[in-house]
Amino acid sequence: MKILTTVKRVVDVELNIHIENGAIVEDGLQYVINAWDENGVEAAVQLKENNNAQTTLVSIGEQDNTDMIRKCYAMGIEDAILIDDPALVAPDAFAYAGILQKVYEKGDYDLVITGKQAQDTDSGQTGIILAEYLQLPCVSNVISIEVMDEAHIRVSRLGDSGTEIVEITLPAVVTVSDSINEPRLPAMRGIMMAKKKKIQVMDLAALGTSVEAVGGAAPKSEVAEFMKSKTRQAGQKFEGDAAQITAQVVELLANEAKVF
Amino acid sequence: MAKILVIADIKEGVLKGSTAELLSKAKALSAQTAVVAIGSNIESLIADMAAAGSDTQYIADDKSLELFSAGPYAACVVAAAQQFEADMIWFGFSEAGKAAAPRVAAQLNAACATEIIDVTLEGEQIQVIRPAIAGKVIQRIQVNTQTLVAVVRAGAFEATPGITGTQNMVKLSIPAPDLKAVIKQILSDASGEIDLADADIVVSVGRGARDQAGIDLVRELARDLSAGFGSSRAMVDGGFMAHNKQVGQTGKIVAPTLYMAIGISGAIQHLAGMTGSKTILAVNKDPEAPIFNVADYGIVGDLFEVIPILRQEIKKIRG
Repeated sequence: MKILTTVKRVVDVELNIHIENGAIVEDGLQYVINAWDENGVEAAVQLKENNNAQTTLVSIGEQDNTDMIRKCYAMGIEDAILIDDPALVAPDAFAYAGILQKVYEKGDYDLVITGKQAQDTDSGQTGIILAEYLQLPCVSNVISIEVMDEAHIRVSRLGDSGTEIVEITLPAVVTVSDSINEPRLPAMRGIMMAKKKKIQVMDLAALGTSVEAVGGAAPKSEVAEFMKSKTRQAGQKFEGDAAQITAQVVELLANEAKVF
Repeated sequence: MAKILVIADIKEGVLKGSTAELLSKAKALSAQTAVVAIGSNIESLIADMAAAGSDTQYIADDKSLELFSAGPYAACVVAAAQQFEADMIWFGFSEAGKAAAPRVAAQLNAACATEIIDVTLEGEQIQVIRPAIAGKVIQRIQVNTQTLVAVVRAGAFEATPGITGTQNMVKLSIPAPDLKAVIKQILSDASGEIDLADADIVVSVGRGARDQAGIDLVRELARDLSAGFGSSRAMVDGGFMAHNKQVGQTGKIVAPTLYMAIGISGAIQHLAGMTGSKTILAVNKDPEAPIFNVADYGIVGDLFEVIPILRQEIKKIRG
């Protein structure tokens, strides 16, 4: 089984984000591997260890992505491709999917694993659109993957009324939730080996496509403006005798907030 | 006049309130409205769908559509959108919507925006507002296509009292089942518990509850209030709470009238799932816990001491 897994480099959501003139201030930002993609990498590596799968990783971005890719190597990924093209500016989900489609078609993959969404956009579209472009079956929000045989996997996904068990005929695309696993911390030996591994860097021409062909030149939608999130104001905080302050808060909930 | 197609939110044979909320917003934009309803034994809901504010009801009613499958579900939405010539297609907040919306957009060559909290229409220019980066920023998105597929965040729009529509049923042809992704079984949520998405009050439990005994204590509070019972990530990872109870960026996003965060410190990922709530009450031992920065009312104290008093006081006041 050949697996293609995707990783995106995203802004660290733990840090403060400042906005000036409708744009995010780059200064002081830090970047990390998208957490859900890291779960996807872990799922791929587990399939390598338990089911002899071959693992290839793809990332779309710039040379800055290499640290993140090396981390994935250290986790156990075998091959990595970096799609780096200066013509690609702020691609939307359709453009990402269009590029990934070309990457998929160059390999002979049985399964594509992506994170269910990226932490920077929280959109959750790319993997599903990729499946649509490739006309492959797709299951999103997956929390377990089990290999049935060479051509089938059984996954569970979190649906609206419970956990749905779905049997999928390969090739297929799955997008994973962070509930699927706990990504490993790479061992020192893996980190050292990862430093020596090659990363295959390609531009869009090498992939046999162009920024226009993948829709990157005319996005279907674009961010016109970033705004500060309306932060809630801290309200009233009560400390002291539990019986007294709890009674006071219940009274406020009823008469001030009028929720009871 | 713009045309807006809303996906009817049907669960266990009942039309959910989000349908009227989305249709109310559509009418407020002076749009022509339609719903598309997909499922099994749902034709009887036509009157409810009209009353919720739709003027046309596209129906795909078949035994094969009983269990959610993204492929056929999306095919029904695409068929309805094409017949109606929809400018916008709105899904309510649901896992089904999140799974189907990007497929529908790809098939219609439309733009796609998820988690939207507002939408404007000036002439033919559509713009949407949505949070991103775990709720730390708000994006204003300009749509460059004629058609937009959107998933609307829970609690974004309110139903207009007295809204009505007209019955005009159009039957859709039933799509072939997806033979390459076959749903075998649904392991359903614990029965009898209130759905987090619908609950007027949500009580969530966090690490402060420590173990099963602590969780049971907080669950009693939820039962008293007929509230949805949710959880922080820590209690899910600890194996105490089911995955589908997790509130946050990666789990359920809720916007109830009252949200009670019990023993939850308030990690950014959790806040992303609940700061849309009208009123927030937090109970936490640590006076510095970040949850107090977003709570309207905060009780600094040990939940094991506070919860029994809280239950008692609420009973007193509610009679």
